[in-house]
Amino acid sequence: MNRHLPAIFRSMPIHLALVLVAVFTIVSLLSLGATYLVTQRSFDQTIRADLRQDMAGFRAAPGPAALSQLVEAEARVTDPARMVLSYIGPDRRHYGNAVIARDDEGYHIVTDISGDPQIEGQYMALTTSLRGGQLTIARSLAEIDALREAFLRVLGLSLIPTILIALGIGLTLARRSARHVSTIARTLDQLTGGELEARVCPAPDWPQDLATIGTRIDKMASAQESSIAAIRQVSSDIAHDLKTPIQRVAVHLSELSEHGPLDATARDLLDKANAELDGIVATFHALLQIARIETGSPKAGFEVVDLDRVCATIVELYEPAATDAGHRLHYTPASGMTISGDRHLLGQTLANLIENALRHTPAGTDVRIELNRIRDRIVLSVTDNGPGVPEAERELVLRRLYRMDRSRTSPGAGLGLNLVASIATLHGATVGLHDAMPGLRVELAFPATRTS
Amino acid sequence: MKLLVVEDDETTGTYIARGLREEGHTVDLVTNGRDALIQATSVGYDVLIVDRMVPQIDGMTLVKTLRGAGNRTPVLFLTSLGSVEDRIEGLTAGGDDYLVKPFAFGELSARVAALARRAPTVAQETTLHAGDLTMDLLSRRVIRAGREISLLPREFAILEHLLRRKGRVQTRTMLLEAIWDISFDPMTNVVETHISRLRAKVDRPFDTDLIQTVRGAGYRIDA
Repeated sequence: MNRHLPAIFRSMPIHLALVLVAVFTIVSLLSLGATYLVTQRSFDQTIRADLRQDMAGFRAAPGPAALSQLVEAEARVTDPARMVLSYIGPDRRHYGNAVIARDDEGYHIVTDISGDPQIEGQYMALTTSLRGGQLTIARSLAEIDALREAFLRVLGLSLIPTILIALGIGLTLARRSARHVSTIARTLDQLTGGELEARVCPAPDWPQDLATIGTRIDKMASAQESSIAAIRQVSSDIAHDLKTPIQRVAVHLSELSEHGPLDATARDLLDKANAELDGIVATFHALLQIARIETGSPKAGFEVVDLDRVCATIVELYEPAATDAGHRLHYTPASGMTISGDRHLLGQTLANLIENALRHTPAGTDVRIELNRIRDRIVLSVTDNGPGVPEAERELVLRRLYRMDRSRTSPGAGLGLNLVASIATLHGATVGLHDAMPGLRVELAFPATRTS
Repeated sequence: MKLLVVEDDETTGTYIARGLREEGHTVDLVTNGRDALIQATSVGYDVLIVDRMVPQIDGMTLVKTLRGAGNRTPVLFLTSLGSVEDRIEGLTAGGDDYLVKPFAFGELSARVAALARRAPTVAQETTLHAGDLTMDLLSRRVIRAGREISLLPREFAILEHLLRRKGRVQTRTMLLEAIWDISFDPMTNVVETHISRLRAKVDRPFDTDLIQTVRGAGYRIDA
């Protein structure tokens, strides 16, 4: 429900500030309310006592005449807004500063003073029969009303600054921790993106909890970096240990071929052995390269690459070979197709895709290479109108060493598309295999460089 | 030429040394980095052929040390690692060329020859010749036996590359690097098809072939 608020209002410090404000408000209301009730009751009691005292004063009057004179005298100096005195004598005559009347709506105090004869407000009254008449004394409760107002004012005066201060501190803290949180998030993004040397490095003024998280992330990143360095060392050791015997086999085969005249069978076997060796080396290189791309950070060597130039070069390189094999390669130059990447790896990717298309389609097939800008992506596609890949197998062909049954007999180690996928992932590109009806379309969607 | 081979694997080392000796070079073979450093600093070699992983002092450190001491002898690195990254690393360390194992001897021999003759050509030629063929670099015209040959830009570039290195073998990978700036190994015979297109224009209509195929190595135009 609060998804629409700016992120900072959903942060923890703001939450805490709001909770504090709520708690403070409730506590203030309760304590002020209690104080108010106690004070109000004591006011009430004071007024009652005053009334009784007033009444006692009038009781001292010896007769109706004296009482009426006393009332009149008192009434003259008494503001009816504060206290109302009313005495109705035995002769039904009225003395006092106001008349208390009663109708269906309740009591009314009506003064003799012209202008505003009706007085509003609450009064507490005491009536008694005295000296044959009826004496009513009413004291205004305005003080209690004023008290309520005073309490509300106190509440307001104490709550508003509290809320403002709490929110202000909350916002400052939230903004500060937001900075730290975004530092942590950026570092994690860099780590995910392959920049293994990225670290949070919390400054000494960081709050303890965020600093702890930052330090732990740094520790984890260091551990990961060193384990990847170890993996690299291992793969480089494996490469060396395996390459040496492979090199020896190549040497022996070469020596064998120089070893005097060989008959056709021997020559044929030698060629086959050499071809197999080439295959082993190619697979081995591809595996090493994939391992390096997947564990490493060759992103460091990224530069702005014009995909149009890469495509033009690779297509030009393959064009004669494709034509000789009875295929047709098509490429339409496109401008403004720059991405951030590794020129050599991108060239290798396209070469792999073209080789793949040439290898798995019959002669006479058209292979179309296209560059298109689709919103903020640059899509490199290689489309053939050959037999295509069944939908169920499209995901699988991207996997390492996967080969479709019908391609078992054709050369290639089944690493081509996997290498393509690794290189694409390194470049933040997505790989899609689609039905070109007929044929296969492989699409690599790269994030375009921001044009400034 | 006087060459030093630094290779810890005996089979490979002897094979390289023997092959280079058969080509008429004087070859010293050492199996560790320490001996290599002593040899390289005391004997003046034309080219050093250094495996990146040799005992005691590894190839990279060896070359860095030599370069630090002002030794400019061209270095060809031999390595098990073939990624672009490794290649760049090797070249930054002071290597001049980089050959990934396993390699064919022809490749090694061609690269050693290229390194030894790296000295820049003194005069800036505007025409290149081979037999009855003349290439004018300014007008970009190629004439053989009085007839003009029309070449595509890439064919012109390949022919120019071979003519500038007359008498030296250029391997497939050397051509890929020089003409297309490609450092991976395509599985398809792409270079062969480009060469055969070039031959169809430059050699086939004439009596003699200028572009020679060197078996197991590459192509060459004889001086």
